[in-house]
Parts: sequence; structure tokens; C-alpha cells
Amino acid sequence: MSRPAHRRPEYHKINKDLFVLTYGALVAQLCKDYEKDEDVNKYLDTMGYGIGTRLIEDFLARSCVRRCHSYSEIADIIAQVAFKMYLGITPSVTCNNASRNEFSLILDKNPLAEFVEELPAGRSSLCYSNLLCGIIRGALEMVHLAADVTFLKDRLKGDSVTEIGITFLKKLDEKKYRRKK
Amino acid sequence: MSRQASRGTESKKMSSELFTLTYGALVTQLCKDYENDEDVNKQLDKMGYNIGVRLIEDFLARSNVGRCHDFRETADVIAKVAFKMYLGITPSITNWSPAGDEFSLILENNPLVDFVELPDNHSSLIYSNLLCGVLRGALEMKRSPDLGPGDMEVLGVSIRKEEAEGMCGSGEERRG
Repeated sequence: MSRPAHRRPEYHKINKDLFVLTYGALVAQLCKDYEKDEDVNKYLDTMGYGIGTRLIEDFLARSCVRRCHSYSEIADIIAQVAFKMYLGITPSVTCNNASRNEFSLILDKNPLAEFVEELPAGRSSLCYSNLLCGIIRGALEMVHLAADVTFLKDRLKGDSVTEIGITFLKKLDEKKYRRKK
Repeated sequence: MSRQASRGTESKKMSSELFTLTYGALVTQLCKDYENDEDVNKQLDKMGYNIGVRLIEDFLARSNVGRCHDFRETADVIAKVAFKMYLGITPSITNWSPAGDEFSLILENNPLVDFVELPDNHSSLIYSNLLCGVLRGALEMKRSPDLGPGDMEVLGVSIRKEEAEGMCGSGEERRG
């Protein structure tokens, strides 16, 4: 149903609430469609991936970020530029290993879950905001960075924070697709 | 599962593209779930209604609009405040009925339909029908409890026309 934009649409800044409630409707619909939490999570991730592969072009065009030289720079940009632009929040970034390819984004507040008090009964393994993981994964893949992105902790599941883990894997074939800056 | 949002100090603003793409994912999922367009349209309207009944409280708290004294004021608030706040656009208000109880909102540049082309097998799909449900739900929550004969009641919100002029490249308008 989608096509690449041939004409840049106007950039609209909007209040988040309609989006947040629509996202809730989307998750509720998936919970109707799939009995198991794992399937809902997987589907949210797949949807997010599709979104991320498209969103990245918009992000790069509007943010004018320069080429990154390390995974740590990329993690910072995701947190401080991308999250800010699309969700209005700035998660903090921590590096989780000495090889500096595993990072966590700590979300103090998760806007997607703003109207959600708790997960419904029987849905304790639901990763409510799993769309975000797919988006990050899809976006990174379009700039030739393979990564595993998952929720490590979730306030909705009773954890103290909401934490997204990003593990950068082997870089995809960079030589062919070096992006001109 | 839901509760009222706390009024934090973080920014409530975001770019609309993520919403646009997520909405597209929602519509796509519904098209998988329901065989015909009419059912998708109905489900979008129902979802929108549930969203509208929650959104209205937040809207009133945030926008500080006072009580509307007539339907024309209501139309103005919908177009100039609500649409601006949640979709970043200001539809124009036209086609008032002689009785003043029906009007049209003309949406140019509806962000929900950025990047969207309807496939041939979904010609009856009302892609943005969520919006109708949202408006209906929101308005229904705020109608006067003392409705008497002749008072205003929301009978329906529908998308009358969706026109696409030209395919990709040339200017596109969506009317609703």
C-alpha cells in the first residue's frame, strides 16, 4: 500500500496523544489476532522493522547527522536525535561491554505506554512497545548495520526502568554502500 | 489497561511521520483480518470512537477551550484547535446545511495518508476512517446531558469524498 514519497510532505509537529492511543489500538488488535505473547511481540517487531526501513530516510534527511565513527556515536544519535524527534524523549545511553558493541537505552518515561497502567491479565510476557525494537533494527539495517534490539527491562512488567538493548553485530558490506557526507 | 496521562513536563510534541507509518501498519493489519473493506471501515470507526472518548479529556485540559455555544463554534474548535494539535493541519469548514447542523471539513495534506496509495482491490476502503470515529467519540462525550428536542446530538461523522488527483509526483489532495 505504500510508495516512496516523490514530493516531500510538509513536516508536522503534533501532540503525541492521538498517536499513543492509536498505538494502543494496534496492540489491542494484535492481541485479538494472536493468542501467544511471543507471536504478538514478533509481529510488533516485524511491523516496526517495516516502519524503520522507511523512517530512516526521513530521519537522515531531516537530522543531517554526520557519518558515525563508532557504535557509541550511533547509540547517542539514536537516543538524543531520533528518539527526541519522533517521540519527544531522550533516553540515556549506557555501554554494557568492553568491546563497546552492546548498549542500553534507558527510558525514564515511555510515551507509548503513557495511558497503560498495567498489562492485561494473561499477557505478562507482552513486550508492549516492541514496535520500537523493530523500528531501530530496520532503520539500522538500511544504513548497513546489523543489530539485535530487544527490551531488556520494562516498567509495565514490574521492572524499575524500561531498557532497550542494542547489540551491534558484524557490519554489513560497507565498502559498496559508503554513504557520501 | 488504561489510565489518564500524568501531566509531566516532557515535550508532548513529536514529528508526525512515525504516527503516519504506524497508522499504515494498523490499517494493513485490519485488511489482513477482515475480508471486505466495509468491515475494515467499521473497525477503524469503532477504534477511533474508543480513542475519541479518551482523547477528549486530554484535549479539553490542554487546549483550555471554553464551552461552545453553538455548532459553528464547535466546528471552529475542531478544525482550528483539535486538528492542529493532533495532526498539525487546519481543515477548512464549508458546506454548511441551511439548518446549520451539518458541515464539511476539507483536509488538505492529511498526514495520515502521506506515502499511501490504495491498491485496486481496496477501492472501498476509507483509509482515514479512524478520524471519523475519534470525532464521533469525542463529541459524544461532551454533548449536553440535558438534551431536549431540538438540541444537538452527533448523528454521524463520515468521509464523503476522498479524491486523489494524479498519481505520484504531481500534487495530491485528500478531501474528507
